[in-house]
Amino acid sequence: MSLPLYYFLAITAVNILMSWALYVPYRMAHLHFLIVANMAISGYTAAYMVLSLHLPFGLALLAGFVLGAVIGFAVALFIGDAPTFAVVIVGFTFIYITRTVIENTEAVGGTMGLFGLPNIGGSPSVHRWTILAILYGLVALVGFLIHRFDHSQLGRAASAAFIDKDLTTSLGIDIKKMGILLQTFSCTLAGGCGVLYGFIYKSFHLDYFTFHVVGILMTVIFVGGYTTLWGTLLAAPVLYGVPLLFPPEVASWRIVIYGALLIIVLVLKPEGFITTRFVYGIESFLSRKRGKRTPLTKPQEDV
Amino acid sequence: MKKMMAVGVLVTMLFAASTGIAQDKVVVTEWQIPFLNCLTGPLASHGSMYQWSTNQAAADINKAGGIAGKPVRVIGVDTANDPQKGTVEMARIVKESLVALGPVPEPVIMAAMPIAVENQMLSITGTTSYEYASKFFPWSVAWFPPYPKRFPPLAKAWAQEFSDMKQVIQFVEPYGPWPMMADAHVAGLKEAGANVLKPIEVPSDAVTFGPLVVKALEQKPDGIIFACNAEKIAKMIKELKSRGWKKMDHLLVFSSGDDAPLYTVGGEDINGIQVYNYVNPDTDSPRWNAFKSAFMKDHNGMPPFSLSTNYYDALFMIKEAIEKTGVTGDPSKLKEERKKIADYCANVKKFQGLMFNWDMKDGVPTNKPLYIFEIQGGKKKLVKEIKLAG
Repeated sequence: MSLPLYYFLAITAVNILMSWALYVPYRMAHLHFLIVANMAISGYTAAYMVLSLHLPFGLALLAGFVLGAVIGFAVALFIGDAPTFAVVIVGFTFIYITRTVIENTEAVGGTMGLFGLPNIGGSPSVHRWTILAILYGLVALVGFLIHRFDHSQLGRAASAAFIDKDLTTSLGIDIKKMGILLQTFSCTLAGGCGVLYGFIYKSFHLDYFTFHVVGILMTVIFVGGYTTLWGTLLAAPVLYGVPLLFPPEVASWRIVIYGALLIIVLVLKPEGFITTRFVYGIESFLSRKRGKRTPLTKPQEDV
Repeated sequence: MKKMMAVGVLVTMLFAASTGIAQDKVVVTEWQIPFLNCLTGPLASHGSMYQWSTNQAAADINKAGGIAGKPVRVIGVDTANDPQKGTVEMARIVKESLVALGPVPEPVIMAAMPIAVENQMLSITGTTSYEYASKFFPWSVAWFPPYPKRFPPLAKAWAQEFSDMKQVIQFVEPYGPWPMMADAHVAGLKEAGANVLKPIEVPSDAVTFGPLVVKALEQKPDGIIFACNAEKIAKMIKELKSRGWKKMDHLLVFSSGDDAPLYTVGGEDINGIQVYNYVNPDTDSPRWNAFKSAFMKDHNGMPPFSLSTNYYDALFMIKEAIEKTGVTGDPSKLKEERKKIADYCANVKKFQGLMFNWDMKDGVPTNKPLYIFEIQGGKKKLVKEIKLAG
């Protein structure tokens, strides 16, 4: 496999997974930017485990997931049912706190960062295939879980909470428990992604985890469509990959193109390119083709 | 017979010595050197300056006959300060390129340089510190010696200029290598007998500077070193002046702070302050004068900033490496020729830089000078040249 293709596939997979990490809590209107801090915390911890404690990559990756889950759960205990704005503020605050702690922690390289992460499996080729296998295994697994979630009672409850939390509560749904569950899931995923992100670059620097990442994820889910998981799957490779094909003269206008695209989509198609209605139409079509009955339970309406 | 063979060998050796290593036939029609640079994004002003320098170097080289008789072209590849983009671009470059320039800046260096190392291609990270570049040796070279070698003598020389300077404080922004640079100043200040006060951290997202300046003044410093972003330095100097700071030459700006915003934001308020960097605009040589006037013409009359000459020199170093090692550009010899260039650059002797000549030893320059200047009316006046031990 060519090197540019490897980097394109690996980074696209991280962008897909991280956009899903943002998508899941957003199903109940929580823009949970804590996930960017989770990436950094788990990534740096795993790098420290590998470089300084000489622990194997597998253990470090597992620790990254667990650390993400623990932090996500602990924070969700307080903001599981908080309004959108409060969740956003908590996320941003955590990004600042995390950056400051890392900047002042010499053990993880401080402002310089961490260098020289080893190849998994001892060779660059094995490293690349391992990273891709883990990432796309995760894309398949997480995609399946989110798909099941979207079609479940819990998913419909999240859709209701997106529109009106009070009404949802009156229907007997525990908003806080649902918030804790979704936020913990997204932070767990972000923790693992943080580890893998650093191992793609074989280094860690604080600037890998800036508000720039928030911008990318927001563009992916809002352009792709924030009501289904499929929008992300379409937008992540397109938004990341297409600018790489631009000639240099056009590439310089990348940010302008992103911005214009986001504005156009928000004005003309506020729910993004791939909507629930669109996905439902395809599912119905496929069901009919297979001679099956149309699913009885409709997914959420576009909101 | 043996005598004749010996004479033959001797003649061959003399011929080789007189012409340098014989240049095999160059197979390229144009040398293309990719430059992974930040042409858009928050550091675009730096990136465009570096790009300008390399383009100028390419023009000068081509005017003088090119590299081994073939023209050179620098291809600017935008990283937009984004590691995601930088890695894919570097992965493309290592497929065919003989050598590269950049990446810029540090986050992209860290993400993309492992690809150059894995593919054994020299990429000259000309604007970063030894502390970053050395992690990628021998497939990068450092443009500066390590901090503990270059900054203590400089800080000591500055502190010794003023007998009344007893207490020094530093403003430090936690970005990349800057805290390490500030730490290296401390050793020199102590050697000069100054009491080094608790540093003031300048947050990267700071927008108001009054409270930071008040916090510093509370410790009653006689001298201040700034190790932060140029615009922030200018604003802090304004705050200091508004709070009655008079001894302007007791303020020292570090090299990365010697950038356009220091002058445009600082205006008249920075008159009298001192800065240190690696570029002496008062150098008088035809080559430097031509570079300086071209730079000023294209930059609204501003003299060349710190770091503006680095990639100019880097391209000339590549030219010298290609010509002296007989590199042909033949794709079938890519691996071998990449190594030739890397080995040559790592240990080049008496390299003729734009401003001075220097030697490299195992990828590290051994005898580059540093300069301290005083700013008056936006112009630099040389105060002192600090020669570092070889």
